[in-house]
Amino acid sequence: MIVQTQYVTFERELKLDSGATLGPITLAYETYGQLNQDRSNAILICHAWSGDAHVAGYHTPNDPKPGWWDEAVGPGKAFDTDKYFIVCSNVIGGCAGSTGPTSINPHTGKPYGLSFPIVTIRDMVEAQRWLMDHLGLTSWLTVTGGSMGGMQALQWAVSYPERVRSAIILAATAALSPQTIALNEVARQAIYADPNWNKGDYYGRTPPNAGLAVARMIGHITFLSDASMREKFGRRLKNEKYGYSFETEFEVESYLRYRGNAFTKRFDANSFLYLSKAMDYFDLAYGLPSLASAFRHITDTRFLVVSYTSDWLYPSWQSKELVRALLQNGLDATYVEIDSNYGHDAFLLEVDRLAELTRDFLKRVETTDWRVTVSI
Amino acid sequence: MASHRLDLDAIIDLIPAKARVLDLGCGDGLLLALLAQRRQVLARGVELNEANVRACIARGLSVRQGNIEEGLADYTDQAFDYVILSETLAYLDRPLPVVQEMLRVGKRAVISFDNAGYWAERWRALRGRGAGYDLCSGEPRARAITLAQFIEFVTCAGAHVEQRIFIGRRGRVRYWPTLFARIAVYVITRL
Repeated sequence: MIVQTQYVTFERELKLDSGATLGPITLAYETYGQLNQDRSNAILICHAWSGDAHVAGYHTPNDPKPGWWDEAVGPGKAFDTDKYFIVCSNVIGGCAGSTGPTSINPHTGKPYGLSFPIVTIRDMVEAQRWLMDHLGLTSWLTVTGGSMGGMQALQWAVSYPERVRSAIILAATAALSPQTIALNEVARQAIYADPNWNKGDYYGRTPPNAGLAVARMIGHITFLSDASMREKFGRRLKNEKYGYSFETEFEVESYLRYRGNAFTKRFDANSFLYLSKAMDYFDLAYGLPSLASAFRHITDTRFLVVSYTSDWLYPSWQSKELVRALLQNGLDATYVEIDSNYGHDAFLLEVDRLAELTRDFLKRVETTDWRVTVSI
Repeated sequence: MASHRLDLDAIIDLIPAKARVLDLGCGDGLLLALLAQRRQVLARGVELNEANVRACIARGLSVRQGNIEEGLADYTDQAFDYVILSETLAYLDRPLPVVQEMLRVGKRAVISFDNAGYWAERWRALRGRGAGYDLCSGEPRARAITLAQFIEFVTCAGAHVEQRIFIGRRGRVRYWPTLFARIAVYVITRL
């Protein structure tokens, strides 16, 4: 499957949660499959922290790597491109084609850097809604995503319940836990501490790669589980014996270094900071008496919430809390806890069970007239 | 005791069309799917086992994975017309709070269980084979519940019996259920 990233620029300003405005806004997006006659088969996939619009397929026949969720998106896969019209766009604040801190600030003619306004998950969804209108779509059959993508999917259902027939929320939460905020803060501190960061003003100079690599290493620890690390690395050494030095000796160390360094080649440190803040601020109950009240305007959207037993970054209790808030509104919410050792990464890796779940869930969403009230 | 599901037809007979129904420990969703098909109920389930939950979703049901206690706590007062506990009462650690919760989230509770006072069970006990479950069966620990015990329990729960169906070897039992009912299905509601 060969795909091209497309771009659309909106010559207007988006009013952000913070009160600031952002514009013009460019969005990078990709689409897969065909939109049907009555425009009822569109699915939005929202990417996670380090993702982009390139969810599946290859950009060129010689492309070494497919999109970030190629296992789940394609002909006959969990999100079947033979049946559905699938859209994925890079979030605002990102660094893969959509407007973010690396973009040129129209007021200064220079990259935004830290003059880029703080964006929230809701702001990302607003920008995606512009894209939805641009594509001429009135409703999504489903909005889905894992981790930060799941947060966007939830925000979609809250912001535009009449345009979201269903939402599939994977390894996500309605609000970040203090533990996750703490980990994000440590990752940010690693970037701030890199002298090359220079308060975000490093474009055209050496970027803060050391800081960004450490930040990403922290991320990779949180994506795995105790069990998956033991299975993947154990205490194996690169050499046969201890070297009694500070060289990289354990395989787990070498893995983290490799992943950290590889990340600096494709990701921007400021973008990393902005997206981490967007997640920290995410709390659907913010300013409301309860999480349940966040869903009070939803009547017809069906939910499939999936968590993974070994995910300690977005643990199952958060999904259960979310499901309880949905059910207390009498909404149609299905919850599955998939038994997996892969930790938070499970949402990307447990594709067989996910394929079965989405196929069965979407069949029900498609076959019932969704305007019939499904809540109790 | 063998897991014959003779109680399912009886439960389906008890539930009116279009009712809102919650099935606790709904297994692979057979009962809920039958209720949705024959009674057009609005069906919801709670089930602990992941494979069972996936089987329910494959049947087009809306199910929440989790144990019965946390599943019940998700719902607001009187969210359902019927809350079903089918062939599960004997396995609960604390049946009283569960049944009280059932009557909080539902107007009526439908409870089915194997009658430990069934004549064959008594005969087994008399022969010194013990009442209740068989140690070799591999089944989890279960209580032996007789009809009289259940009636006492309903009173404890602040409820009363509204309807009941007894099932024996050859269908419905009218006389001497305490001896001849293999399975009892009760509809109870708050006093």
